[in-house]
Formats: sequence, structure tokens, C-alpha cells
Amino acid sequence: MTTMATPTQSAPDATAPVYNPKSESAGAKRAKSIAFHVAALILTAIVLYPGLWMIASAFKPNSEIGGGNTSLWSENFSLDNFVTAMDGIGGVSTLQFFTNSLVLAIGAVVGTILSASVSAYAFARIKFPGRGLFFGMMIATLLLPFHVVIIPQYIIFQQLGLVDTYIPLLIGKFLAADAFFVFLMVQFMRGLPAELDEAARIDGAGHVRIFGSIMLPLMKPALISTSIFSFIWSWNDFLGPLLYLNTPEKYPLPLALRLFQDQTQSSDYGAMIAMSVLALLPVLIFFLVFQRYIVEGVSTQGLKG
Amino acid sequence: MINRRHFLTTVAVGTASAGVLAACGTGSSTSGQTGSAENPVTINYTWWGNDDRAERTRKAIALFESKNPDIKVNGNFTDFAGYWQKRATEAAGGGLPDVMQWDLSYLRDYGQRNQLLDLSTVKINTDAFEKSLLPSGQIKGKTYGIPTSTNAFAVYYDPAKLASLGIAEPDGTWTYKEFNDFLTEVGSKSNGALFGGTDYTGVWWMFNVWLRQNNIEAFTSEGKLGFTKDDLKKWWNLTAGLRGTPAIVSEERVTQLAPKSPFGSNVTATEVTWDNFMAGYLGDSGAKELKLVPVPSDDPDNLGLFLKPSMLMVASAKTKFKDAAARFIDFMVNDPEVGQIFKTSRGVPASKTQRDGTTFEGTDKIVVDYETSISQYLKDAPEPPIVGFGTLESSFKRIASDLNYGKLDINGATDAWFKEAEDLIKQNA
Repeated sequence: MTTMATPTQSAPDATAPVYNPKSESAGAKRAKSIAFHVAALILTAIVLYPGLWMIASAFKPNSEIGGGNTSLWSENFSLDNFVTAMDGIGGVSTLQFFTNSLVLAIGAVVGTILSASVSAYAFARIKFPGRGLFFGMMIATLLLPFHVVIIPQYIIFQQLGLVDTYIPLLIGKFLAADAFFVFLMVQFMRGLPAELDEAARIDGAGHVRIFGSIMLPLMKPALISTSIFSFIWSWNDFLGPLLYLNTPEKYPLPLALRLFQDQTQSSDYGAMIAMSVLALLPVLIFFLVFQRYIVEGVSTQGLKG
Repeated sequence: MINRRHFLTTVAVGTASAGVLAACGTGSSTSGQTGSAENPVTINYTWWGNDDRAERTRKAIALFESKNPDIKVNGNFTDFAGYWQKRATEAAGGGLPDVMQWDLSYLRDYGQRNQLLDLSTVKINTDAFEKSLLPSGQIKGKTYGIPTSTNAFAVYYDPAKLASLGIAEPDGTWTYKEFNDFLTEVGSKSNGALFGGTDYTGVWWMFNVWLRQNNIEAFTSEGKLGFTKDDLKKWWNLTAGLRGTPAIVSEERVTQLAPKSPFGSNVTATEVTWDNFMAGYLGDSGAKELKLVPVPSDDPDNLGLFLKPSMLMVASAKTKFKDAAARFIDFMVNDPEVGQIFKTSRGVPASKTQRDGTTFEGTDKIVVDYETSISQYLKDAPEPPIVGFGTLESSFKRIASDLNYGKLDINGATDAWFKEAEDLIKQNA
């Protein structure tokens, strides 16, 4: 984190002298830099305001959220919403929802990493008949909106008796069904110098060895960005769990969150927002820990490996 | 990488497999398996609702299982919006749960597509129900839903707010003119701090009440519109003089307050809507007490009011346990102890045995007393609404809000709604 922060802060000073170094005085440069930072801060504040509103509202009583109440902080500060949120719903504890979300998210990450990297290796490095066709078909699945395949997929899992298990939600991840990640890794691997595998092959390594000892270590940035996206997508997924899970004990957080908002009775916005804050934390932490790899993962071409 | 031939191959493969899958969709159905105490059958029951309803339902299920040791009930719940997405997928996949909580607006859609069990073929006791209520669960002679509970239209007001303005509480015998004057009085006496109410002409069901007051039916038995453009113009003209004045809260304000209602946000003194929203308004507004009075009518003998099933119980047409499903539905709608568990959280219990077996206090009592007070004016419950009714209802609201924004005049609004309604009815005919 700290290594990342330092260059960002010094960036404006480092780039400022590059253009028009002679015509501007030190004072003007300083004023420009201040104006830039003020503008950036204002924009940040605007962008972050909904988040701030959410955190502030989590501490308000239900009747003061939304409606005509415009003040950010309430005088009736209380932790009641968090107490209600942690209480759970219909006899299922909130911890259970967290555990379920975590199981699904970690399953998704593990499955995607294992399957997408192997498939990507095949597409990028092995010349097999029909490679172009299969690659094209894989990309074509990206063009199919999820909603088109919902019903056929549901019928398959229903006939197999797998509804109300985590299998329909995870099996695709273990079978490299997320074409986006396979594509990401294929592109990344194509950037890695082929000389590396050729050298390994001359030394007698087979595909398994090349993949395990040469490719995987070099692909770390791609693997990490895949993990991040796959974790966040799974954590936030609502429709999949909604359709495939029936037992409330198996629900992940997004389903539980909605239960606080009931159109036909009273909505507990306070508890819903408090739970949103709690639900956001793991994703935020996951993101903060790995964020510096994201850009690297998407943009590096592997040459420096 | 992708050329056209590859793409076409993919599409062809995909289409072929979809066809195969559709063929798999028809599941087998056997009738009426029964269980015993040693070897109970398990039925699935699903509902929408919040934590509170989940807790109450859990108690009701436990009670049912203790009285019926040969049946186990597996309860599931989701939120209202997700509920219908899930049902649509399950219906397409042939896997609807055995017993479901249902909403009137979806009854015709699923009933016509033979997804729901005809409950007249199984044993459910409906003796304790008002005869005027049952037809709203029936389509073409088949009973698809049994109402658990009812709601009725009413005018809510906050007595504390009226007292602070020095306005007398209404008694509910008022004409539209008197009601409008009342709204104006609230708006002018509060100097803009409080609006009289929301524009009630934007509410479809209130329009329905007004049509009944004028002895016009909303939909004919063939599923066509039963009223004319002139009727709708007359209706929207009722509040023409109030729009843009402090009598009616502006549409901008309503949008700002969403998802809360203006009444729940303490911005208006009254609201015209269903009487079972009481708990929601109390929770949202933090008000100590809210009261209910009948809707205005120009004919004091015909208030146009009716009881609507606030929710129904239905069973899947493909359930393997028809008998168990019927016993569970019968228990949920008739058992007095179930009434005691739910109170008015589902609406006022529809079955008399259940209603009589329940003690109502506080807010619950206000709602029950209201429905009792209007009982002499009640007319037949509406038939299950036409397919696509939800769209009609929301376009009614949207077009009425365009009226309030001043984007449309009354003629334009009427034409716009009629066009949408007629297109929709033609599509679903």
C-alpha cells in the first residue's frame, strides 16, 4: 500500500515542470497544483458521497432515513441497526449468511483459477485441431446474456436434482465457463515469450511441467486480478443464488439484504443499510489488499518476468 | 479469431440443445401421495416477506407439523421482487413449490397457463368465507387461490398533525368536493409545511372505487375495458384545481422521497390507499397514531368499497402431495391459532373462524374495526385482474404523474393511457 501511495502523491510535481518550464513562475505552479488537488478532492467527495450517506444512515433510526431528512448525521446516533442486522432473519443468523457468501466466493475463486488457467494454457500454447473454432465458441458465450440461458440451465439442474445445492453456482467456475477469465489469461499468456517454453521443452519438460513451473509463476498478476473479479462478482451475485437456492440457511448475503425491504409490510431500511455496510467490508478489504495487482494483471505483458 | 462460420456453428449447436431441453421440461405428475407419522411426506411452502413474517410463519409451520405428524413443511422465503423472478424460472422449469403465498395480480397469468392446482378438486373448507370474496380466487370456474386475508381502501390521516393545525378530524362521510376542500384547508393552514395529500387520482384502485360508485365496471367479463375515455377524463379532472397547490404534494417531491411515501415521510396529512399499510406507515413516519376513514363518495349509499384478497394461498398443479398441500392451505387460512400468530400482518383474516379466534389490539384493532365499519357498503371482490394488469396499473400511475408534472394535459393523458391499455389487452387476448 505505502509503496503505491508515494509515487502517486509526487506525480503532479514530477510532471509539472515538463511542459512550459520557463514561462511559469514557482508561484503559478503552486497555485495550479493546489487548484488541481482541490478539484480532485471535490470530485472525490461527490463520488464518495453515496458511500458516506450509507455509513451515516446505518447509525440513524429507521424513521430518519430518506424521506424528507436531508441531514447526514442524526442526533439520535445509535447502533441499533447493527444489532438488528446481526440478529439474522427468520431464525438464520447473519453470520450464517456471511459464511455462505464466503464459501461461494472462495469456491468461485478457486474454481476459476484452476480451470481458467489450464484452459488458457491450452488455447495459448497447444496447437490442437479445432483450436480456433473452440476459442471462437468460447468468446461467443460472452455474447450470450445470462438471462438467455437461465431457463435451459435451470431445467438441467432441476432434472439432475441439484437445485438447492451450491453445485449449480460453482460447477461453471470449475469448468472454465467464465469465458472472460479464460480470455484474460489467454491474452496474458500470449504476451509471455515463447522462448521460455521452448527452452523448457529442450530441457525435457512436458506440458504439465511447463504449465506448473514456468507459466503459473509468471501469470501471477493475471491470476490475482482474476481472483479479485471473481470474488467480487460472486460476493455480489443476486440472481444465481435467488434461483438455485431454496433453503434460507443456504442464502448468501445479497438475498438476506433484500429481506429487510418488504413492499407489503414495513421496510427496515436502517437494518438493511447496516447490513450493507457489513457486507461491503470483506469486498473492500479484499480489494484494498490486492488492488495494486489489478492494473498490473490487465496491462502487463509479462516481459519483465 | 471469430469468423462467421464459427459463430453460426455455435448458434446452431445452442439452438439444438435448447430444443432438446425444452422437451425434457414436462415432468411426471402422480396424484395424492400420502405419508404417515413414521414416514412423513415433505411439502415445500414458499412466501415473500420480511423477518417478521418469517418468524410468524415459522411458528405457524411448527404448529401445523405438531398437529399433522404425517406432513413436514419445508419453508422458504425471498423478497417480493425476487419472488416473482424465481417463480417465473421455476414455472418454466416445471418445479414450482407445492404450496405458495400468492398475489392477486399474478393469479390469472399462472392460472391460465395451468401452473396452479384447481383447489376445488381437493378438500379445503371455505364455509367461513364471505361469498363475495371467493370469486377473486377463481378463473373460469376453477378455484386457483384461497384468500388468506383481506384489505380495503381507506383514507389515512394523522390526528396529531390535524390537531396542530386546528382542523377537525374527518368522519369519512364526505363528497369529493368536501374531500378536496379538506386537502386544501390542510395545505393552506400549514403554510406549505404540510401538504393535504398525494394526488389520489393517480391511484388505479381508487379509480376503480370511483367507477364502482358510478356503477361502471373497470373490466368487462371478456377482459376488455369497461369504461370510456370520458370517464377517465372526468376522474382526472377531479383534482385538476388542486394540482400545483399546497393541497397536493408535488411530483418532484414524491420522487425525491422515494422509496418512502410522502405520508410515511411526514410530508402529507392524508393518504388514500389499502388499509393494511398501517404498520409500514407507522414505522416510516414514527407517528404515534394513524386513523382510517372511508373514501369520499358523491353517493352516500354507494361507497364503491370492496374487500380484496391481500394475499392468497395456491398450490402447484404438479405437486405430488395434493392432499398434504390442501391440508396445509386449509390450516393456514382457517385455523384460529394461525390467526393469532399472524394478527393483521397478512391483512385482516378472511375466514370468520380465524378472525373470531384472534384478539386484535392497538393498530390491528384499528384496521379490523375499519373493515367492520364499512361492511354494510361492501360489494363483490374484483375478479383476478387481466394478464399484464401490473403494467396497466403502473402506467396509470406514471401517466398521472406526468399530469402532475404538467407534461401532459388531461386529454393527452387519457389518450396515452388508453393506447397503452388497448395495446396490452390486444397482446394478451
